[in-house]
Amino acid sequence: MNTQNQNGYMLLFRGNDWLKSLSSEEKQKVTDQWMAWFRRLTDEGKAIAGNPLEREGKIVSGKNRVVSDGPFAESKEAIGGYFLLDVASFDDAVAIAQECPGLPYGVQVEVRPVAAECPVASELKHETQFANA
Amino acid sequence: MLLYRSDEWYNKLSQEELQKLINQNKAWFDRLTGQGKAKPGRALERTGVTISGQNGRFLTDGPFAESKEAIGGYLVLDVETIEEAIAIAQSSPSLAYGGSIEVRPMAEECPLDVRARELAREEQLISV
Repeated sequence: MNTQNQNGYMLLFRGNDWLKSLSSEEKQKVTDQWMAWFRRLTDEGKAIAGNPLEREGKIVSGKNRVVSDGPFAESKEAIGGYFLLDVASFDDAVAIAQECPGLPYGVQVEVRPVAAECPVASELKHETQFANA
Repeated sequence: MLLYRSDEWYNKLSQEELQKLINQNKAWFDRLTGQGKAKPGRALERTGVTISGQNGRFLTDGPFAESKEAIGGYLVLDVETIEEAIAIAQSSPSLAYGGSIEVRPMAEECPLDVRARELAREEQLISV
């Protein structure tokens, strides 16, 4: 795993169904904690962007460019929002992800290095170099 | 926001097809940026971990590249309506090769907040 990355890291918050089991006070508490967490990270210069996503959306797929409903809110995999982090190492990003206030309630946080260029393009470059060698 | 689902559909493409797609994608992105409709978008490396559980105890490798839910990259659009965002997603060159794109409105405020308010209102109504 790359431990250094100048392009930053993205946290993807997955799971939408965990909310259902919470009372309104609990929900308010998690929301407040989440906002405070994001503000602190922004103040520290560690978070450069972040947004919740509306729970509805569409999926566009295939040659025929079919539009269908999704993602389904009850999916454990559905993405609810993201943070973009400006930290130097993967370990820093993981440590921040571990502070997520939603974790005790079943939220999953995916930590992904942001790529300098499209990984498909860079793979192709490697293959071309290899073929020409 | 456009989220690119990546189930590694591009692995079955030849080198020429891939290069063509990359060029088409770049032209598409440059055009949208030129029109002021796309803000910077980025690809994500194919590696990462998922953190879950109380205090973030569990670290698992992932996302799994073969998963249809895995995200390969994102693009933030600056357009007024979801219809316009969908139309832009539909014009993406990668769809022709089997890719799929999730279109999601960015929320003004956290849906958690909205739901908490709704619940509080319902409780108030019941207690009246």
